[in-house]
Amino acid sequence: MPLRRLILLCLTIWLLMQAGAAHAQLVVVVNARSGVAAMSRNEVINVFFGRTRQFFNGVEAQPVDMADSHPDRARFYSALVGKELSEVNAYWSRQLFSGRQQPPVKAASPEDVMRLVLSQPGGIGFVELAKADARVRVVYELPK
Amino acid sequence: MQFARMMKGRRRGGAFGRLLGACCLLALSSLVVASDDYSAFSLQGFGTFGMARTTSDQLEFVRDLSQPSGVRKHWDGRNDSVFGLQGSWQIDPRLSAVVQATVKYRYDHTYNPEVAWAYLRYEPTPSTTLRLGRLGTDFFMMADSRWVGYSYLTVRPPGDYFWYLPFYSINGGDAAYALSLGESLVRFKAFYGLSNGQIPLADRQWDIDGSPMTGASVEYQYAAWQIRASYANITFKNDLPIGDILQAYSPDPAASSRYLASHDRRSDYYSLGVVYDQGPLQVQLMLNRIEQGSNSFESSEGGYLLAGYRIGQVKPYLGYSWIRSVQRNTAGRQVIEAKIMADAHVDQATRIVGLRWDLARNMALKAQWDGIRGEPTSIFPYRNDPASGRWSGRMDVYTVTFDFIF
Repeated sequence: MPLRRLILLCLTIWLLMQAGAAHAQLVVVVNARSGVAAMSRNEVINVFFGRTRQFFNGVEAQPVDMADSHPDRARFYSALVGKELSEVNAYWSRQLFSGRQQPPVKAASPEDVMRLVLSQPGGIGFVELAKADARVRVVYELPK
Repeated sequence: MQFARMMKGRRRGGAFGRLLGACCLLALSSLVVASDDYSAFSLQGFGTFGMARTTSDQLEFVRDLSQPSGVRKHWDGRNDSVFGLQGSWQIDPRLSAVVQATVKYRYDHTYNPEVAWAYLRYEPTPSTTLRLGRLGTDFFMMADSRWVGYSYLTVRPPGDYFWYLPFYSINGGDAAYALSLGESLVRFKAFYGLSNGQIPLADRQWDIDGSPMTGASVEYQYAAWQIRASYANITFKNDLPIGDILQAYSPDPAASSRYLASHDRRSDYYSLGVVYDQGPLQVQLMLNRIEQGSNSFESSEGGYLLAGYRIGQVKPYLGYSWIRSVQRNTAGRQVIEAKIMADAHVDQATRIVGLRWDLARNMALKAQWDGIRGEPTSIFPYRNDPASGRWSGRMDVYTVTFDFIF
């Protein structure tokens, strides 16, 4: 029966998409050398918005942001602070043009995030859980 | 101060700015040549095309007292438009240099480019920042980003709060220290420098170049909350350019001049700001108190409350701002003295309704209505004040702006 088969196919696709979305859990990772094991949501906010440049243990934090063109960036700020990218960019334009601070470096891809996080002891970035390997430590899981 | 004329505006500020800019460019270009792995050069900018009109031809609406003339009943693009460009060089991980130039309508009716900032920034530790050169002053919260329209909600910073603040930069230095307290942060900052600028008064300019400015602030941040208290002052280097008026109209010009002196008089600025910024909701409450040392100005208190809520890419907002100055006792003073002193009076409140639409990446369109409701004596914030009795104290201002960053 073609209709039943179609429904079954749709259901399968939908289930696969749900599974895919579940896998796309974003996590905050740090360079394993930073000595940081876990962070609270507010600590993550403080680092990614440039409010502090240090982890609790005194190691200098080197946040790695992503380019607007990568969908992970919008998902990250939406999950972390409930903000649209326009709001995050407005925040950084104030920091930048008032002369207070420069925004963090921006990676073009998750591979780029990993490379930058690993290139300095205080490196911290966000990637999908599946992309986080043994060289980094997951310190915070973003709410889905 | 609509009497008389004379006195050509001095351009010391402009010449110094150009010199400073040239020196910085020279120094920085040599750094770029000697670049190594650390150094990175970046160029970014911001701008606003703004149009505004009011419902009164009796006087001119300006953004703050740094503007020599303003908006009347027809659409006018001068007062809210700006273009800015910033070049920054990361010389090594601790040291960077920043130069920012802006083009906007100036105190002298021109659009000559200005070097807004030009400084070296040094971070001896991750929590300490030192800057030296030409810097923005944050007398009040957000005062140093007043021209970056893309960075805030409204078409312009609320006038009742910022009119009295025509100072934008100092030649000097500042130091900031951030202290982590678990999940919250405390940031201390202090600055000192000589002011850089002119304030237009009718057809003349009051030279505040070289007036010492100093200040400090403390800021507390926890999650969506930010609270900031600050104190700052300026000690004016010069008297107001009113010597000829006093000569012509005062029976005792020397005594009048002494009484209205601003030279070596200090103005004190106190402010308190609270910001709550959570998801789609943003609320700001700002309060200030300004104590004027010169009899030419009146001490004032002002503030604003602003709230916006994002729905999709559109953010409607509502605001209310106010300012009230305290009249000095003019009993027994000369008529001309009382008249000059009355020019500094302000007593009004403004209702604000607007909409910000983030229509594309790094671009925003805004539309806003300001309903100014004040006393007929409230003329200090405006230009070309009318003969007494012509101004009702009530006016509406309509503004549309297009803001961008790149």
